[in-house]
Amino acid sequence: MKKVLEGSQAVAHAVQLARTKVISAYPITPQTHIVEELAKFCADGTLDGQFICVESEHSAMASVIGASSGGVRTFTASSSHGLALMHEMLHWASGARLPIVMAEVNRALGPGWNLWMDQTDSLAQRDTGWIQLYCEDGQEALDTTLEAFLLAEIVNLPVMVVLDAFFLSHTYEPVDLPEQEEVDRFLPPFSPKFRLDTEHPCGMHEMSQPPVYMEMRKSIQAAMETVPEVLAKVDADFASIFGRHYGPVEAVDCDDADVILVMAGTTASTCRELVRELRAKGEKVGLLKLRMFRPFPVAAIRESLAKAKKVAVVDRNNSAGAGGIFAQEIRSALCNCGKRPEVYSYVAGLGGRDITTKTLEGIYRMTLEAAEPGLESRWVEIDEELALS
Amino acid sequence: MTRTEMDSFRIPLFFSRSETSTEANRTGNWCFVRPSYRDRTAPCSEACPCGTDIPRVETLAAKGLHAEAWRTILMENPLPATCGRVCFHPCEKACNRGELDEAISVNALERFIAEAAQAGGAATAPDRAGGGAEAIGRGKPTGKKVAVIGSGPAGLSAACFLARLGHDCEIFESADEAGGLLRWGIPEYRLPGPVLAREVKAIEGLGVKIRCGEGRDLSYPFKDKGYAAVVVACGQARALGLGVPGEELAKDGLDFLRETRRETRATGAAVATRAAQAASAGGAAPDARVAVIGGGNSAIDVARTLVRLGQKPLIVYRRRREDMPAFTQEVERALAEGVELLELEAPLALARDAKGIRLSLQEMRSGEPGPDGRRRVEAVKGSTSDLLVSAVYAAIGAEAEAPYEAAMQAAGALTLGRSRLVPGPLALAFTGDLTTKDKSVSDAIASGKEAALALDVLFREGADAVEARLAACRIGAGPSLSMELYLGGERSKRDGKVVHAADLNTAYFPRAARTVPHVARPAVAAGSFAEAEPGFDAAEALAEAGRCMSCATCNDCDNCRTFCPEVAVKVQDGGRDINADYCKGCGVCVEECPRGAMVMGAEETKR
Repeated sequence: MKKVLEGSQAVAHAVQLARTKVISAYPITPQTHIVEELAKFCADGTLDGQFICVESEHSAMASVIGASSGGVRTFTASSSHGLALMHEMLHWASGARLPIVMAEVNRALGPGWNLWMDQTDSLAQRDTGWIQLYCEDGQEALDTTLEAFLLAEIVNLPVMVVLDAFFLSHTYEPVDLPEQEEVDRFLPPFSPKFRLDTEHPCGMHEMSQPPVYMEMRKSIQAAMETVPEVLAKVDADFASIFGRHYGPVEAVDCDDADVILVMAGTTASTCRELVRELRAKGEKVGLLKLRMFRPFPVAAIRESLAKAKKVAVVDRNNSAGAGGIFAQEIRSALCNCGKRPEVYSYVAGLGGRDITTKTLEGIYRMTLEAAEPGLESRWVEIDEELALS
Repeated sequence: MTRTEMDSFRIPLFFSRSETSTEANRTGNWCFVRPSYRDRTAPCSEACPCGTDIPRVETLAAKGLHAEAWRTILMENPLPATCGRVCFHPCEKACNRGELDEAISVNALERFIAEAAQAGGAATAPDRAGGGAEAIGRGKPTGKKVAVIGSGPAGLSAACFLARLGHDCEIFESADEAGGLLRWGIPEYRLPGPVLAREVKAIEGLGVKIRCGEGRDLSYPFKDKGYAAVVVACGQARALGLGVPGEELAKDGLDFLRETRRETRATGAAVATRAAQAASAGGAAPDARVAVIGGGNSAIDVARTLVRLGQKPLIVYRRRREDMPAFTQEVERALAEGVELLELEAPLALARDAKGIRLSLQEMRSGEPGPDGRRRVEAVKGSTSDLLVSAVYAAIGAEAEAPYEAAMQAAGALTLGRSRLVPGPLALAFTGDLTTKDKSVSDAIASGKEAALALDVLFREGADAVEARLAACRIGAGPSLSMELYLGGERSKRDGKVVHAADLNTAYFPRAARTVPHVARPAVAAGSFAEAEPGFDAAEALAEAGRCMSCATCNDCDNCRTFCPEVAVKVQDGGRDINADYCKGCGVCVEECPRGAMVMGAEETKR
């Protein structure tokens, strides 16, 4: 059934349809609408789940770690500083192999106190062992959340579903809300492979010495490596029931493109528009939308980008001293390919600054005209005088 | 996706997990302090003159168990429906919730519980099966016969508790109906006749004989008639005179209340007619004001009754409003109904005048506090005035009809908390207004209970045992006593230490506004002798009882079990136990107990 929903509500409905048993969260803009909606569902009984109020994001993650260890489906949501405060527990969730699902709304970190869109918060958690999936619109946010539960429960790793602040979290769009019966068919009840059992107490995640620790880390790595294959099956199943298909990346007009723009999140929608316009004028341009960031879909990226002459990566994030993070990852993904395109790195749209088709066209032109990529990321639409004052 | 399909992926899953049970690790031996469950004492129950187990009452009420809640009150107080209306509820002042947001409406809940239980057919007499017999019971007959002089709250209470302890009890009442001050001194709009009658009947159900129209004093040969003791519960029914020239012109306030009660009982119509006549005559003329002298509850009752009869009463009080012994709420209602108040004026003289009575007044000023804490008043020299009124009612206090001072001072007399016991071949117990500091209905009930327990100890163990046995029944620091403690019931396992707000984990109590019963608009209330407050409905009562924090008593919230990191709390047969093999003494359970019903103690470690 089509409904006009805010991105946040789309996620909340997915969590409800997934029959999630325990939700714990601490409010932070722009994530709050998600858990507000879920708290309402728990209170009015439309979700048979427990909402645990806590005093911090660290405790929110600790609570869902506890609940998930007890063998129930769990969810939390956070953003920016809240996510940063969870950092320690994020490692614990993946190390403990718990299939927790979290919605993370991309917001800038302070100071320069800022509530708006910026990817640095989630990308700063890239090494915590969480699967990361970035969403382009409200429908994808709902669908990805549903897929996230199944994916997490198969591979026993936590999944972060990432949404752009405001552009997605606070924007109303028509969303196809699935029927409960369809969701139940797609997502069976959670059947944990292990759980805490007070009748048979044992010690979990105790001291692990050098002879075994490395094997545990390898186990996580190996599980991550199965994700592309598992996601392919999850996507296929999802498509067979709901008729929508996503994949780890989406290549738009990449086959014969000379220049391919690479990006994640809602900017991809803007870029689709640009690609349509430029293609109409006969320009050979394509778009590669990154949906999965962890594990990094190297094979899919190589396959999509290999034939292009130039790749322009648009990062709404920056690793100070190293530049756009997606660009670094794309470079290393292509590094060992025999024939590979030049990778141009652009930093744009930080802290909620708009990225329009004009911005993206500027990036495209710069890339087209440049003689070589250069060492540093280029910051676009920036007031250099102010920045360097 | 099917389970088989999900399981078809080979997912490496290697993490650290012990192969053996952690039960081998007896964390209990880490412990040097140990938690234990210890119900203690809530400040409300300590403040209640009757020592009612209020947290338990509200816990039961919050579960909708009205009959059980009612029986819990009846254990300590035979007149819940009455007290639910007229008690000045010191419990609410002591309520820990008052420090969080607002006190629980204990008084209004008491009334609701009594009515809901009675309406629910929980039995009309406390001695019937289902009506409290199992919990309360009648003791084995002792063969002792006890006479009670007066059927007011103290007499009814003494008789009830004596009967429950197995003694034969007879009440001698000079009036033609039982109840004393409850029947004759408190107006119908505060305590409807049928409410009292039901509770009196329940006490008769215990085998207590009430002999109306048979007034007695100590000149009656009780000993010769086979009585082992007399409880003097005659109250103070004779009004004090004003002690000024022309005092005979003033009407006795208590007599006036008595007469009005008699009329309202007869039909209710007679009074209404008089009120209507007054109204149709164009209301009272300005000089038709009536003066009520006094500042106690009786003065307020007289004034509010006069309002209902179409009069314009003016209360004349020699001190300030804040010094009035009357309950604040009663004063507020009186003023809202149109009663006027003249503070710091004392009567000098009354004289008949062509238009009515000329009341001469002396202006007073408030001085330094006296030894009793009340401010003294002194006359303002030369500042007198006259007031023309149609009538004057005196309600400045009362005394006992017969003098008992000498008998009370007899050798060997024991001064107890609210009563006085004179042992002897015919033991005497003085109760109620004769011996209580606070002249309230609840204090009178408490006093009667104390006398009953004292006599029971006297009969069984002798005079020397009385004080120690009663001290063991104190709730908190006393002087309130508990029948349940006297009988060695469950409640006697509790610690007498009073739990205050600082001892609670108030994080578990979200703020919630106090529910107060609806009150009729003053203009409507003032036009009728009907009860002004309809009381709680079931939903309101449930919500309000749910606000009770159940201080100091376990209400099975299970926080201790939920938070125990060692899973050492076991629930068995509805009770909780701590498994000493695994409790490492971290204290999380004690910290997370919202109501201060757990304690940590080093002595518990000795194993």
